[in-house]
Amino acid sequence: MVFSLKKFLLFLLIAFPLVTVLTQKNYLVSAEDDIDVDDDTVDIEQDAGDEVSETAVTEDEDATPTVTKSPDGETTVLFLKPKPGLLGPSGSPELHAGKLVEFLVGFTNKGSQGFLLETLDASFRYPMDYSFHIQNFSTLVYNRLVKPKEQATLSYSFYTDESFAGRPFGLSINLGYRDVEGKPYLDAVYNETVNVVELEEGLDGETFFLYVFLAALVVLLLVLGQHLLTSYGRKPARKQQIERGTSQSDDVDFEWIPQETLREIRKNASPNSTRARKSKKSAGSLSD
Amino acid sequence: MQKSLAFLGLVGLVLLASAAELNSPDEKSRLLVSKQLLNKFVVESMDVVIKYSVFNVGNVAANNVQLKDASFGPDFDVVGGQTEVSLGRIPPQGNVTHTVVVRPLKFGYYNFTAAQVTYTSGEDTKEIQQGWSSEPGEGYIAPFREFDKRFSPHLLDWAAFAIMSVPPLLIPFLLWHSSKAKYEAVLLSKKSK
Repeated sequence: MVFSLKKFLLFLLIAFPLVTVLTQKNYLVSAEDDIDVDDDTVDIEQDAGDEVSETAVTEDEDATPTVTKSPDGETTVLFLKPKPGLLGPSGSPELHAGKLVEFLVGFTNKGSQGFLLETLDASFRYPMDYSFHIQNFSTLVYNRLVKPKEQATLSYSFYTDESFAGRPFGLSINLGYRDVEGKPYLDAVYNETVNVVELEEGLDGETFFLYVFLAALVVLLLVLGQHLLTSYGRKPARKQQIERGTSQSDDVDFEWIPQETLREIRKNASPNSTRARKSKKSAGSLSD
Repeated sequence: MQKSLAFLGLVGLVLLASAAELNSPDEKSRLLVSKQLLNKFVVESMDVVIKYSVFNVGNVAANNVQLKDASFGPDFDVVGGQTEVSLGRIPPQGNVTHTVVVRPLKFGYYNFTAAQVTYTSGEDTKEIQQGWSSEPGEGYIAPFREFDKRFSPHLLDWAAFAIMSVPPLLIPFLLWHSSKAKYEAVLLSKKSK
């Protein structure tokens, strides 16, 4: 019994390190492999992946014409912003760059069974080729049930980027819905080329401050000009300034000086001393 | 003669009307209703403005338009406007807006759902169309305390601050003023001397 236990312990002593080493080696090897694979393929595969995804998108578009709108579902679209109807002065639909675009999508259920309105998404496409997406806006999930003979309205809004100004885009709005059996439908609610135009605004911050700066410059020039004109215009007759010191002011307080000191000062006052002049005011002012 | 003319006119009218009847599948009114919350912050026990816009995108007028919003439960007080309103007739390409002011009584997340609109299309049909507005969706109703913390004008705090800042300003001023008064008195007495 004891012997067998000893053997077992020995076996453990040998087996445990072996197992750990082996497994660790395995881990190490596999980890290195992973890193190697990543490093090697990063540069090449990313490009390939992009291409693949792009083609996948286009293939998807081509491959799903089977999902169409239901004959019992009728949709209308109404743009609220930038303006109802969206028609610009040129007669073609226009969006304003950097501004909110808001529209309502109405759905009428003309059939005898309900529809579940699931998603609504909008996207800018290349106008020559609508399978080429330029910008996808978020797909909103509504999940609204429209009973037979009822109607529902969905609202959706997005911002056009300012950098899109002056270019035509294919604006495509798609409503995805299902009937009660779960059959999917896709209705292209709006699918037209719109122009994104830059809105001419009367006053933006930049021009406002430009004008403020110009006005400040004009005022500065006026002030400078006036200064120059006055300094050249009249030669000021310079009056001779005479320093009189404190001789003319009569509120000099001598009270703090003891009487005997004052008397002494007055007695032997030299003619140059201001204190002496102070003591004999009238004489001092005359001498100056 | 006149009678026959009148009869002909009547027949013509009937024909026109029937033609209009025939065209009627195309001619119908279609209402789009948007429901929007105009508030930036929806706060417990503070006003929330809700705007309903009804657009008629059809080519005939919608009649007897009724707007009803039953989505505000007992957690809301209607402060202004009505949640059930008759909008009458909306001409083609016309629109009507209606606003309601409500006050949420509780805070937390709330799902703002659709309002109901009923109308009849055109002048003659009796069939009532039923539509639902857009949904503002789930929104967060902030507790009043949270809103107050961020946006209150802190009038009471400022008043307290003003009262507290009076003594340290007033005491030095009084000290200075008394000394100045003393000095001026001295000067005056000297001048008068």
